[in-house]
Amino acid sequence: MLGQVILSGILIGFVYSLVAVGLTLIWGVMDIINFAHGEFLMISMYTAFWMYALLKWDPLVTLPLASFLIFAISFLTYKMIIKKVLDAPGLTALLATFGLSLFIRNLAQFLWTPNYRFITESIVTDKKMAFGTLIIGMPQMVAALGSVLMTGLIYYFVKKTRMGMAIQATALDRDTAKLMGIDTEKVYAVTFGISGICVGVAGVLLSTFFPVYPEAGALYSLLAFVIVAFGGFGNIQGALLGGIIVGLAESLGGFFLGTQFKYAVVFLLYLLVLQFRPKGLFGW
Amino acid sequence: MKKKLAVIVALLLIATLILPGCSQQAQKPAEQQEIKIGAILPLTGSAAATGVKLKYAIETAEEIINGEHPEINMELAKSAGLPNLKGAKIKFIFADHQANPEIAKSEAERLIQNEKVVGLIGCYHSSATKPASQVAERFQIPFVAGSSSSAALTERGLKWFTRIAPHDGMETKFFFDYLKYLNEKFNAGIKKIAVVYIDNEYGVHAFQMVQKTIENYKNDGFELVLDVKYPANVSNVDTEVQKVKAAAPDAIFHASYIGDMTMFVKKYKELNVVPKVVLSYCGGYQDPQFVKNLGKDADYFAGPNATTSALFSKMPDLAKINEIYKKKSGVDIDGPTLEDFASAMVIAEAINKAGTTDPAKVMEVLKSTEFSAPYFVSGKIKFGEDGQNIYSASVMTQIQNGIYEAVWPENFQTKQPIPAFPEWNKR
Repeated sequence: MLGQVILSGILIGFVYSLVAVGLTLIWGVMDIINFAHGEFLMISMYTAFWMYALLKWDPLVTLPLASFLIFAISFLTYKMIIKKVLDAPGLTALLATFGLSLFIRNLAQFLWTPNYRFITESIVTDKKMAFGTLIIGMPQMVAALGSVLMTGLIYYFVKKTRMGMAIQATALDRDTAKLMGIDTEKVYAVTFGISGICVGVAGVLLSTFFPVYPEAGALYSLLAFVIVAFGGFGNIQGALLGGIIVGLAESLGGFFLGTQFKYAVVFLLYLLVLQFRPKGLFGW
Repeated sequence: MKKKLAVIVALLLIATLILPGCSQQAQKPAEQQEIKIGAILPLTGSAAATGVKLKYAIETAEEIINGEHPEINMELAKSAGLPNLKGAKIKFIFADHQANPEIAKSEAERLIQNEKVVGLIGCYHSSATKPASQVAERFQIPFVAGSSSSAALTERGLKWFTRIAPHDGMETKFFFDYLKYLNEKFNAGIKKIAVVYIDNEYGVHAFQMVQKTIENYKNDGFELVLDVKYPANVSNVDTEVQKVKAAAPDAIFHASYIGDMTMFVKKYKELNVVPKVVLSYCGGYQDPQFVKNLGKDADYFAGPNATTSALFSKMPDLAKINEIYKKKSGVDIDGPTLEDFASAMVIAEAINKAGTTDPAKVMEVLKSTEFSAPYFVSGKIKFGEDGQNIYSASVMTQIQNGIYEAVWPENFQTKQPIPAFPEWNKR
């Protein structure tokens, strides 16, 4: 029983991580908080849903398309909105993304109605694995594995590639990076785009077992903010671990204290971390 | 800086969860011969899917009242407008409470003070109906609630409040009587009961009613083995379902909305939870989207419903109302929606009977008249001293092959109840 609870917590935690990785990148590199992060996630879920409903595409087939789409949306968001407010006082960018999130959410409701929709058929639907008393649902399993893989790829990209190093340099000191010949403008746009890919992938993976509706992204982005604070701003390993901690806190807290408290436990942990490690457990 | 920022972020995010949208209807200035009634509904936010349908139902009522529909056997359908007020038209002014009690309260104040509505209906969520009806009480304006089912609403001793739907106390009794029927007639052997409920007014109160009601059914062998309360916004229900599985109840009572309910069913299937009966309070189960989302997996779930499409062939007036509704919404009318339709009809009828919009006179009519309601199984509506509709007879419905069949009481049966879930892999 306890095993099952822990397993569920870890599996969902991986997905939380991936959502948080996207957020933490922008936060760490650009010092900008993207409130529309959850809404990008929601658009990705709708992409999976509509490709399924209209063209009978399996969500996993839609995955590359949705990632590219959200990459493009994020990239454009940077070019059209964020760039203009980058040097304005800190709150301006925050409010701009906040407005964007409200806009997208209400637009989705206008275009697609607020109905809860489910993708009822996919390769993973209704499949499960059983190990003794442990049951792992295939959708959750695939979502978790996909998230870990994606997180790993992004980690590799940031740490090992030339562009990734440019991102790190820009995150440390934008002006010096610029002096060293780094095109910080490009770095920012790419960072935003990568963050979009994270939610693009996460959204599709989630859509196989989570309802698709205009507010689907809200709770995930809220949890992602907590995870970013846990893991340290801009820290990818931190986000991964933070996600697992939040997933576990949620399921164990819910199991032992009563399910009504499961998010309360998460937010309590968040407040504690803020008190003792304002920069997060792995902050730099 | 980042610490401060993080706190701001947290606050703003919480605000976005609470205030999911910012929509307000634009209203035109009052015209003569137009009687305004406020309808406060969850048009955005987590229950917006249902709220939009309730709006269609109220618009259907508006169309029936203001237009001529001699084919429907209802007093206000036959003539255009209200005959006793020289054919005055009814205009419903919609307001959005976004599933937020605070907003419901301020919207009620706005409707009464700025829009000068003479009556209020709504609000679906009991938690929103509660403050909104308190505002109506303060301004002495009649409030007719449609589908809000928390029994607490009619226990407050309000003078200006009435409610159409059976409250969860009545529903709970109905549940136990149904289980008793299954045990006696089908030897179903149902004993252990679990309650799974959302953490808000609706869910919490439903659970309290079970705690209270089960005392009267102890001799029938029922016992409460588990209660699971879950947050109003959930990203997953894994832990919740694991608790249910561990307790292995015979019957599960659900107080859930459509999104969470659907997630529960999927998880029941995944973790192979096989109860004998699942009964749902007025909420997600009653929404036809439930069947659409889940397909075959929705079969065997059950719950009380003011109506079901299986009954249309037996009730011609209801079928005609449904025709108008379906043109607007694209789906068949369901229980909660019909109850809100009824609230719109009843308040218009009360104004017509009173021959005036004077709130005190309208309220007097509401409290003293037996309204005809050919669209309900009970056929009539009559409010008791506390404002509760004493005739709110629902039927127990069960989904069989994707159709909400009326299974109990026996005189309304469209199909026999199936008193046990098959194993998930044997469907």
